[in-house]
Amino acid sequence: MTRILKSIEEFEGEVSESLVIVDGHDLPPARHDGGSPEIGRSRRRIDATQRVTGRARYTQDLYLAGMLHARILRSPHARARVRRIDTKRAEALPGVRGVLHRFNTPKTPFRGDDVIFREEVRFVGEEVCAVAADDEDTAREALALIEVDYERLPHVVDLEEALGDVAPQLESDGNVSESGSHKRGDTKRALKEADVAVDVTYRTSTQLHNALETHGAVALYDGEMLTVWESTQHVFGVRTGLKNALKLPYSRIRVICDYMGGGFGAKNGVGKYTIVASLFAMRFGKAVRCVLTRDEENLAAGNRSATLQQLRLGAKGGRITAIEHTSWSNSGQGKWIANPTGPTNTLYEVANVNTRSYKVVTNAGSLSAFRAPGYVEGAFALESAIDELAEAAGVDPLTLRRRHAGAGKDPITGNRYSDKHLLECYRIGAKEIGWDRRRAGGTRGSAPHRRRGIGMASQIWGGGGGPPAYATVHVDPDGSVVLTAGTQDIGTGTRTVLAQICADELGVELDDVRVQIGDSAGPFGPMSAGSMTLASVGPAVRLAAHDAREQLLGAAAGVLETPKAELRLEAGAIVSKGARTPLGEVLGKVDNNTVIGKGIRFPNADDLAQKTFSAQFAEVEVDVRTGEIFVERIVAALDVGRIVNPLTAASQVEGGVIQGIGFALSEERIVDRALGRVMSGNLEGYKVPTVKDVPTIVVKFVDRPDRRANNLGAKGLGEPPIIPTAAAIANAVANATGARVRHSPLTRARVLEALALAGIRD
Amino acid sequence: MPPTIDRRGAALRGPSAVDVALEVNGERVVVHVPPRRTLLDALREQLGLTGTKKVCDEGTCGACTVLVDGRPVYSCLTLAIACENRRVETIEGLAKDGELHPVQRAFVDTDAFQCGFCTPGQVMSIVALLRTVPQPTEDDVKRAVAGNLCRCGAYPNIVAAGVSAGRRKRT
Amino acid sequence: MNAFSYVRPRTLSDGLRLLRSGASALAGGTDLLGLMKDGLARPELLVDLTGIEGLRGWSRAKGKGLRIGALTPLVELEEAEELHRAMPILRESLRDAATLQLRTMGTVGGNLLQRNRCWYFRDQATACWLKGGTKCFAVEGENRLHAILGAHECVAVAPSDLVPALIAYDAEIALASSRGRRTMKLADLYVAPHGRERREHVLRPGELITEVRVSESALARKGAFQKAMERKAWSFALVSVAAAARIERGVARDVRLVLGGVAPIPWRVVAAERGLEGSGFDEAACAEAADRALQGAAPLRDNGYKLPLARELVRRTLRSLVV
Repeated sequence: MTRILKSIEEFEGEVSESLVIVDGHDLPPARHDGGSPEIGRSRRRIDATQRVTGRARYTQDLYLAGMLHARILRSPHARARVRRIDTKRAEALPGVRGVLHRFNTPKTPFRGDDVIFREEVRFVGEEVCAVAADDEDTAREALALIEVDYERLPHVVDLEEALGDVAPQLESDGNVSESGSHKRGDTKRALKEADVAVDVTYRTSTQLHNALETHGAVALYDGEMLTVWESTQHVFGVRTGLKNALKLPYSRIRVICDYMGGGFGAKNGVGKYTIVASLFAMRFGKAVRCVLTRDEENLAAGNRSATLQQLRLGAKGGRITAIEHTSWSNSGQGKWIANPTGPTNTLYEVANVNTRSYKVVTNAGSLSAFRAPGYVEGAFALESAIDELAEAAGVDPLTLRRRHAGAGKDPITGNRYSDKHLLECYRIGAKEIGWDRRRAGGTRGSAPHRRRGIGMASQIWGGGGGPPAYATVHVDPDGSVVLTAGTQDIGTGTRTVLAQICADELGVELDDVRVQIGDSAGPFGPMSAGSMTLASVGPAVRLAAHDAREQLLGAAAGVLETPKAELRLEAGAIVSKGARTPLGEVLGKVDNNTVIGKGIRFPNADDLAQKTFSAQFAEVEVDVRTGEIFVERIVAALDVGRIVNPLTAASQVEGGVIQGIGFALSEERIVDRALGRVMSGNLEGYKVPTVKDVPTIVVKFVDRPDRRANNLGAKGLGEPPIIPTAAAIANAVANATGARVRHSPLTRARVLEALALAGIRD
Repeated sequence: MPPTIDRRGAALRGPSAVDVALEVNGERVVVHVPPRRTLLDALREQLGLTGTKKVCDEGTCGACTVLVDGRPVYSCLTLAIACENRRVETIEGLAKDGELHPVQRAFVDTDAFQCGFCTPGQVMSIVALLRTVPQPTEDDVKRAVAGNLCRCGAYPNIVAAGVSAGRRKRT
Repeated sequence: MNAFSYVRPRTLSDGLRLLRSGASALAGGTDLLGLMKDGLARPELLVDLTGIEGLRGWSRAKGKGLRIGALTPLVELEEAEELHRAMPILRESLRDAATLQLRTMGTVGGNLLQRNRCWYFRDQATACWLKGGTKCFAVEGENRLHAILGAHECVAVAPSDLVPALIAYDAEIALASSRGRRTMKLADLYVAPHGRERREHVLRPGELITEVRVSESALARKGAFQKAMERKAWSFALVSVAAAARIERGVARDVRLVLGGVAPIPWRVVAAERGLEGSGFDEAACAEAADRALQGAAPLRDNGYKLPLARELVRRTLRSLVV
């Protein structure tokens, strides 16, 4: 029976309520007795061969016949009014097909604006014009021939400058707006009564995603359908963006993302380049390609906001009694901010908490979600501050955390956690790193002037997923299976784990399942973000496979003239009283029939909080004369429910830790304040970790199914591993040297300065 | 268009497109490109060999690594015309008769990629390494791929793949 | 990249003749193509030198020292065992230079002539002083990577790792142009941009480096190289230090100390060298030399950390010559 149910979901730290159409009933939790043929098994990626042979086709690799190439002219000024645009010379260049700009482009609503080319451009890199030409070189040359008359306006790019009185005010109500707060208990009183207190300021620099495949789209319009290939984390989100911008019905837009080269949160929806490619495609009736360069990527394709964070913590009798946390985030021209106070609000059971988070508008590129947005920045500050408090109170920092980490309820809503094993993560991690070797003040390192230390930090995050998400399972007469699901594989292994779930529940071999995803022509599914893909789509796949299996057994019962109850489907064969008949043989009797199983994601329980938890432990050496940090070992112990594929899950954790190392040690967007220009906009200036920056990483999963979360017992894994890394490293550095670096990344300059402040030379 | 011959006989070519003969994955091919066309763009756009990726287009990431005369180079900083009559090997040329190259197999087995965008470059760097160091250590592999960035952070498995590929029987 | 013509001569004389005004010499292309992509070089003609015989490879003839052809790929210097025994600092300085691919493509001559990595210089949209503009944007801008020593109008730093190592061995270079040949000390090739000299070296238009030479007596020196980076690989030097000396019965002679990454030119510190002459590289002497090496340093807003870093690297590099 079709009905409407309420569901509570969490996405990137925000909890919301939604309504879901459901039909039928959900499945009971999957078995977890070690007997699953697929779930819990390490499997090679089913698309691995395509990826290692270069045959995997990414958006960038699409070269369609007669395709035009679009390129975008971007503002060289941090803030200016576009008064006049002269495109005559550009349009006279042979091979140029057309130019779009604010004076000739129809209204195309985009993220709160009603145009894609604004009169007032507000950061270096903002879109001013777009050119379509027969080839890339011509398009680029045409950009140089466009004359734009800019009226320069005062600008501000730096977070702390934008907070000050002398900065130009970019919005009518100023540059600063409150974006969230939480209060429980009375922090003022608790701080007054505390035995020890710390009052500290932390900063985190802007981190750039730098997915290796830049943002880009190829659009094709045939007079009826607009087909867009895009490197995206959400084909349906791009479809919605195009519907809003171009006023086309959903039925006439198809968005495809077959293979994509990384997103990390920056590719969650439509881009101006998508709209540009689509507008040109619709005008010329040809395919149009608009793919960003690396520099454009780092100017205008999102970032993790820089933050300024103030924390006051108090402790009494060896327990944390109060946390005040105020955070300002540089959102650039973004419309939202991620919340760095999220971990403070929810990670520990502390009676008195008061947090406030502010969005600061500047003339810099917009933030976009970056792998656990807010929580990475917030955890760096909170988890550093907890160590500073522990040090001041003379308590072992892990012991202090243990006293507050065992709560069974979400402190904001009061809802019980669906499951939680944070203390178990502490136990596993502490044992693996050898926490008992940790000494206050660190130990001697392996060379002169080197100190050694151990640190840790914890993590809380969502990852429970939720509806809507759909899957269908088609079983063809030869016994082969096509699983169609509303999702995309952004490199996390989604194709493979969904195939495993399908094969497991259906009773066929993994090789028999082909997975069809990344296409808005299929059923809806969520964004591959917020660590929610597996927990959202996986249960729908399981239900679809179950539905198909029931139908297959019914069909087999008819064909074999055996009661259905006596039949099983195992490894692609119908098993009846010990006899195995291959599925294809059974279905051959009803040739050209197709069995279609259907599955949906049922709602989350509205009285539970589905969360992921983990702890990371870092062991480092620090050269106190050169400020060089050597991360030797990271142990990540995670509670993310059930693990479907231990091989790919471990890879994902390692990847998160490595991005966390980049955030901790070397990654930093550097902007010239006077010019408003990103100076580290390429992969020379912007230092992502290389293979040599990677320590030994030990990954441990608690691996207990969260039976109350969903029918699979699995939760998300994408974001948890990046959250605690930087704080664990900073805490290890402080343990090693006695010097506290309160600004990530911990560059030579910052480490040497902290060491000098602490008076440390050896 | 015939090449301009300067006074003393050296052939000036371009700036418009000229025929350039290359050996790509064992086959002689001729591409018609202006001298400014990089090897990367010629492979991808003229020859349809899109396995080699464009990430930075300025020699900082390694995604465009191919082998020229057996040695790893960044094809984004190499002119196609400068490879005339040289031996170019790309990711597409590794698998023979449907059999993956040992390095490719090792990448599959050790899960040495996530999004896969850097993978062709990583694989080519390790293929080049194995020709001179058939049984590389972890450090050898790290040195070979230090110029190949991976943003997903597959590095531990890439190193494992390189070491294990060296132990496999060569095909 | 702008459109250009291309030619690949077979002989040096053809090459030199073709290098007329408006032409650029192409070797490994690792720097030139980057400059062209950024619109900082717009040659009408590229003269590809890689077909020229006789400029590639190295030799060491008895008593005649070491000769390295300018077109020798860096990776060959790094890998050759015999060369490593003759002059270990080559491998030491090249190991962490750029990446294997860039060292495979890049040549010795190109490395010596590579342009600076200042992000204002490399940004096409910024009309910095070195490119003919009126001011250096780094002085008041983002200067964490810039010079602390010896800068005038431009505070970009000399980027090469190999060059300080070669200068520590008193390397000479042979130059050729259609007008003739000359030799000079490698150290004399470089000039801190100032006044009307908006350039980093004194190579004349149409001139090529053909060879790098290290004398037999210099090869008797012991050398050491250290480099500090922003990450563990693939990073231009924040600071690099090359040191060399002949050590006779524990006493240092012909001491050379050259820093990279701290000044617009490879920063040879004669005062520190003199102070070490006759010493045994004991702790005190090395520490004093480190202080002398940084004398006159004038850090900018964000690069003050280079002082303690350089001081320590100098001390360590010198100590490593005897420890």
